Amino acid sequence: MSTIRVRSAASYWLAVPAAAWMLGVVVVPIVLLVWVSLWGGRAFSTASPLTIDNYIRFFSNQTYLKLVGTTLVHTATLMAVTGVLGYCIAYFLTMKVKSPLWRTVLFLAFIVPFWTSTLIRAIAWVPFLGVNGVINQTLMFVGATQSPIEAFLYSRTGITMAQVSLYTMMAAGPVVYMLNSIAPQLREAAMTLKAPPLTVFWRIVFPLTLPGVVIGQVLVFLNVMSDFATVATIGGNKHALLSNLVLLFYEGSQIRAASVVAVLLMVCMLIGVVVALRVVDIRRLGADR
Amino acid sequence: MDTLTAKVDDPAAPVTVRPQLDLELRGVRKRYGDFVAVDGVSLKVEKGQFVCLLGPSGCGKTTTLRCIAGLEEPDDGGILIGGKEVTRDPPWERDIAMMFQDFALFPHMTVAKQVGFGLEMLKKPKSEIASRVKHVLKSFEIASLADRKPGSLSGGQRQRVALARAMITEPRILLLDEPIGALDYSLRETVMLELKLLQQRTGISFIWVTHDQNEAFSLGDLVVVMNHARIEQQGPPEEILQRPGTAFVAGFVQGNNVFRGRVAEIADGHVRIETPVGPFFVPFTGAAPVAGGEASFSVRAELITDAPSERHGNRVTARCTAVEYFGSVRRHIFERPDGEVLKYDQFGAHAARIAIGQTAELGWQKEDCVLHGRVQR
Repeated sequence: MSTIRVRSAASYWLAVPAAAWMLGVVVVPIVLLVWVSLWGGRAFSTASPLTIDNYIRFFSNQTYLKLVGTTLVHTATLMAVTGVLGYCIAYFLTMKVKSPLWRTVLFLAFIVPFWTSTLIRAIAWVPFLGVNGVINQTLMFVGATQSPIEAFLYSRTGITMAQVSLYTMMAAGPVVYMLNSIAPQLREAAMTLKAPPLTVFWRIVFPLTLPGVVIGQVLVFLNVMSDFATVATIGGNKHALLSNLVLLFYEGSQIRAASVVAVLLMVCMLIGVVVALRVVDIRRLGADR
Repeated sequence: MDTLTAKVDDPAAPVTVRPQLDLELRGVRKRYGDFVAVDGVSLKVEKGQFVCLLGPSGCGKTTTLRCIAGLEEPDDGGILIGGKEVTRDPPWERDIAMMFQDFALFPHMTVAKQVGFGLEMLKKPKSEIASRVKHVLKSFEIASLADRKPGSLSGGQRQRVALARAMITEPRILLLDEPIGALDYSLRETVMLELKLLQQRTGISFIWVTHDQNEAFSLGDLVVVMNHARIEQQGPPEEILQRPGTAFVAGFVQGNNVFRGRVAEIADGHVRIETPVGPFFVPFTGAAPVAGGEASFSVRAELITDAPSERHGNRVTARCTAVEYFGSVRRHIFERPDGEVLKYDQFGAHAARIAIGQTAELGWQKEDCVLHGRVQR
């Protein structure tokens, strides 16, 4: 038992370092970002008048609005694909692989690529997807296609393929954890109550892993929304999502517009997380078992 | 706590006559790699019998139960439930229900949903499920918990929910894996009595796995003692208590003194067995033992006397090392000359006659000895 009581002076002092850190790297930058997005005029000056003109300019541009839509659709697609794929991988790893050695080996094989940075993993996809890339070479070797498919690199398909590989484990990880925490007796009890396997899955296993699914979806949602590197490397100059727009405005010294898009991204993410929390109370995870 | 009321289902339901056995095991065998968990177990359970599988941990009693449930597939042998061959059938096609040691309640379902789960699986209409769940919750005295989730229930409440969930479908056989092992000691006796009454009222066969002999002997119509994956002895509690069939059963059941030795002589219905603590005369029935062969016998602690007379043909001298007073009996622990322990129970109401450290001559009648046979297969 902890000897430090809640709401005692000691507990507040212990919270100071973390609080200072959060204030410095999260709260202050966000406040600055919001502030800059409201700057009027053209000068880079703290004396700029505050206005919502920047937002009005953004939302009255059809191209930008379309981009918001594209980003959301793209993210939803990825959430769906990684969700299903991740659940299947997680289920296979925890339920079907019986040998502990194989389970560890397979799990490491899925995890090890995550030790490199997202950017490098994104770039690593280029030689795979290119016109003379590994996938096209393989397809032509097998005889599935006569001429190389150009749709892979510098396309939405290619971006989706790369991101699926990058983020599937994020969807699978929390599910693995939740599946592992389901006592085998629960499934057995359901079976002795005349539930066939598919019913056991839908009525017992899936509801109990739902928090893991939601957490995985939140992770994928946040990462895909903010992933500009993959889109830039695989999509080339032809494709952009909201996060690339931030970079574009920033490189063009349009600091106000960049802030507006950044704030918009943040609001989208915040809404996403709030919705997820309404579905599953993540803070109460594991409380019932 | 009051007793559970009436039958689980509508008491007016017609009782069909089932002349056949509720359960039959024919030489069931189960291996895990090199480890044999169940080795040629055969068992017949008549309609509405209360059967206790008793044995030390790792003896194969739980694996046997899981084979009956269909949660394990035996490598060999046959399982018949209600006369129907089910050996290869999955659990959800068998006419059984099971209660797990830790109750295995579904953490995400309310008590009412949980108890109705079995009926839902039987595709009963919603209205019927609701009314039967209500009825069963009431008869198990857990109606007030209907909307709670298992996380907020006490051990005793969980036990009732698990029992209600298993019983509501009225299976032919209820399998119970150490069903009261997870309960507080003070609750156990009450729950045991309730379960026994419930079993008698409903006529559902209970197969109860336990390592606690008090449970097994006070509940079971038939007690099956298992050891090392095999059945050592099966029979009514009296038979196992009074006539243990093997040295293991005698040693496992409380209150027996086991002696091992060699058959020296066979004469007029008795064998003389030479043991490290002297010769003993033991009666035998049936086939005569082989002279010169190894043999073991046991005598119950309460049949020994500390004042042997001519009637007491078997004698041993030993030193008392401890005395435990239980009220009904006063148990003396003696150290035999060969280092083994000898237990002697004196009627508790009598005054103590032997002090710790005292050496005494103990005796018992030849007829009180039970000669052990071979392991039953």
